[in-house]
Amino acid sequence: MIRIYNVVKRYQKDSAALNDIDLRISKGEFVYITGPSGAGKSTLLKLLFCAERPTRGQILINGQNVTRMRLSQIPYLRRKLGVVFQDFKLLNNRTILENVSFPLEIQGKKRYEISKKVYQTLKLVGLEKHLQKHPLELSGGEQQRVAIARALIMDPLILLADEPTGNLDAKVTEDIMDLFKGANARGTTVIMATHNQEVIRRYPRRVIMLRDGRVEKDVTP
Amino acid sequence: MPEKLVYFIRSAAGNMRQSPLLCTAAIGTVAVSLTIIAFFSILFFNIEQLTIHWGRQVQIKAFLDVVPKTEVLQAWTRKIEAFPEVEKVVYVTQMQAFERFRERLGQNADLLRGLTSQILPASLEIELKEQFRSRSGIQAVVEKLRQNQNLQDLHYGQDWLERFESFVTLLKFSAGILGSFLLFATVFIVSNTIKLTLYARRDELEIMSLVGGTPLFIKTPYIFEGAFQGAFGALVALGSTYLIYQFLLKKSLVTLLFTMGVKDIVFLPLTYQLTFLLTGVFLGAVGSMVSLRKFVRIRY
Repeated sequence: MIRIYNVVKRYQKDSAALNDIDLRISKGEFVYITGPSGAGKSTLLKLLFCAERPTRGQILINGQNVTRMRLSQIPYLRRKLGVVFQDFKLLNNRTILENVSFPLEIQGKKRYEISKKVYQTLKLVGLEKHLQKHPLELSGGEQQRVAIARALIMDPLILLADEPTGNLDAKVTEDIMDLFKGANARGTTVIMATHNQEVIRRYPRRVIMLRDGRVEKDVTP
Repeated sequence: MPEKLVYFIRSAAGNMRQSPLLCTAAIGTVAVSLTIIAFFSILFFNIEQLTIHWGRQVQIKAFLDVVPKTEVLQAWTRKIEAFPEVEKVVYVTQMQAFERFRERLGQNADLLRGLTSQILPASLEIELKEQFRSRSGIQAVVEKLRQNQNLQDLHYGQDWLERFESFVTLLKFSAGILGSFLLFATVFIVSNTIKLTLYARRDELEIMSLVGGTPLFIKTPYIFEGAFQGAFGALVALGSTYLIYQFLLKKSLVTLLFTMGVKDIVFLPLTYQLTFLLTGVFLGAVGSMVSLRKFVRIRY
């Protein structure tokens, strides 16, 4: 599903954010990327959803070499990926319905198809009663569930989450993790960057630990 | 495609509703710029009407020393009317010329007492088609006329014609320079105003890109928004120009131009109004496109 070959990412000449990363992640896996701040977790995820280009090395996603992909093809790759951020990245001036339906609007789906799918997905995350609300009317946990709904609505092959529980309390974290586990159980590969060791302990899965831009440990329980 | 079109229009309308202040600023910018252009357009349009009016007076008069027989005269007239440059030929008899002279003298018509129409020559008044009312057009017809030995006394106001042509050229040149300058300034101002609106929405543009929006898909609602704002701006500009026309131009300009033969100042005709509307749409859309280039790009 994902193959990373000797990837190096440098933002400055003399320091590498990622150094010689070599990984294989299979279809349907649930993987934590962990490590201290500055270890390269977010950079790795950015490389996967093509927000950054590696300085060296190759990345294959679902058989496609994304490092050689033309710019015009990147949006189509992103539609196969769901991305969840710590700061939610919701459109605050749009309703929950509009936020979640946006990935389907992009594909020119029909209104009734969009409405049906949005309702189903928001029901999955328990927010079907908040369709017409705006993100800032919801709590942090609810906003993250909206972001997850937006990521899941396209039935993505891969769900990338960058510190999705970073700002949330234990109860909400549990709810969010249940959503990720559910998506993973339905066949989506989940890659979650987190430094929350409690989450990793409670929901044990393969852990890739980064330190100073290198893979320090790759452990499968 | 219709689904996407509905989405683009809905998004554009939604964006405008959500940012009324920025939207008003963009509409206002287009409106002010186009009002200036529309104001000058009215001036140029009416002066152009004046030049057309003057242009109609460009004609050749061939004075006839001897009045020919009717058949000969008809043959000449037919021949001249067959010239591609000629609109029509009017034969003015000695009597008609005398009557015209009397009318022109007005209260001094008494001066003609005791004189007969024989003192004035008959003439052929040759009116040219609009595209030939120029020095070269007249010259071409004059050369052809001179081939007839009987048509040697030709008058066509050479000096006046040269001045008239210089005036028209100057007018067109200044209209071109001023118009281009104003249009360029408008595109610049509009694109900067729209850039401000996009700057306020840069997070939104980034998020759209992250969830798989193609640059075209992300840009299109904003281009529609720009076009709508441009159209509204153009309508406001036409409205305010009409008010300026009604309460200012109509009275002041007519006094100025009346002496030159213009009786009434007219507002921009429908074709001009439609052109303005389309220009507004164009300015808004292009202004958006120019600004979007900087804000919407796949970062990699």
